[in-house]
Amino acid sequence: MSEALKKIYLLVVVISMPSLALAATVYETHTEFLNRAFSGTPPEPDVIWLSGERKSSVRELLGHDYAALRLRYWCQSERSAWVLDEVGKDLPITVGVVIEKNYIKSLRVLTYRENRGGEVSTPAFTDQFNGIALTSDDSLDQSIDGITGATLSVQALSRLATVALYLHADSGCKNGS
Amino acid sequence: MDHKKRRASTIRRLHRSLGVAAAIFILFMVISGMVINHSNGLGLDQHHVSQPFLLGWYGLDAPEQIHSFAARDNWISYAGSQLFLDDSHITSVSNGVGAVFSNNMLIAASSDELLLLDTSGQLIERQSWGPPEAGPIESIGLLPDGTVVVKSTGQLWMADAELLGWQPAKETISKPTWSTSEPAPLPLIQTITQQYRGEGLSVERVLLDFHSGHIFGPMGVFIYDLLAVAVGFLSISGLVLWIRGRRNGKRSNGVK
Repeated sequence: MSEALKKIYLLVVVISMPSLALAATVYETHTEFLNRAFSGTPPEPDVIWLSGERKSSVRELLGHDYAALRLRYWCQSERSAWVLDEVGKDLPITVGVVIEKNYIKSLRVLTYRENRGGEVSTPAFTDQFNGIALTSDDSLDQSIDGITGATLSVQALSRLATVALYLHADSGCKNGS
Repeated sequence: MDHKKRRASTIRRLHRSLGVAAAIFILFMVISGMVINHSNGLGLDQHHVSQPFLLGWYGLDAPEQIHSFAARDNWISYAGSQLFLDDSHITSVSNGVGAVFSNNMLIAASSDELLLLDTSGQLIERQSWGPPEAGPIESIGLLPDGTVVVKSTGQLWMADAELLGWQPAKETISKPTWSTSEPAPLPLIQTITQQYRGEGLSVERVLLDFHSGHIFGPMGVFIYDLLAVAVGFLSISGLVLWIRGRRNGKRSNGVK
């Protein structure tokens, strides 16, 4: 293969696959998130298995099975913290959700990997989730304003907020245990 | 008057020739644009290209190395940044160092995380390698009683029974059996190689590149630009011819 042809191939790849060149943006590590959620003294993690009815419910909320069968969560009093992943367009977005007494206390994007739609990582957007709870039919009780060009990421975060609220209610943490 | 007629005739000829040439391009753009608009619904972003010619065109070569580890009756392989259980692609992972089977779980270790899988390849949990004082994972192994142990910058770490937490191992523990790379059967390696190349390129991406001309490189984009200018010319020349035709029609009606 001639050098010129190789250069054309390389250029094609560079132009057509820009997402490969982009690295994930870590906004907060798991440790930082847990320290923030529990004022510097996070409890030991508990485990919840996504099996049986719980697995079906999560599938219904997400529109597909969750990527893992076992989830860790941290519970203290009636506050729980969850680290969840959901694909926006092509790559998983890692989100940390803190729930207290069945209401979202905070939701933050911990790691964003997509090459578009990163606006969902700004607190101006994620603060919309504060104070949201689940309705009786397992949907968010307030609407979330969308962002042009980040529709899939917005939807992914909304799904994760719903799942976190459902899991909080389904775990023993709602009783403070 | 003759000059005006000649000019109108030239525009008409150009309009006709360019129209024929651009028709195929316009049709292609319309169809590909419609398909791209519905690519999510059609699942084109989830389907991957397997044609060797296209994969080669994109420079998606076979992985430089495939490291395979035997765990229970399975093979866990790291091909570049991709993890495979037997011939099934599982997920992306970087710097795979080994794999073991314990507590009915397959545990694949990379330098910075552990992936717990059931025997069907379903991901149970993806654990970031957590102890703050620990460096990257160098190897993973099993103690004679089945306890999972990893080596990290010279220090051994033992997992609890549920693989939820890790504690530094005491110096008195038995010698672990470390997971080491072994040559996997050739047909398996060939299947993994084929999948590895295909996983990198979705049908949607190829269609987008065809639609934009990027698939043919900078020259392709330039040619698409020329065709777009031609389409622009067609709309203007069509308008000019229509106005002239209207004017001529009115004039001939007036003569009558």
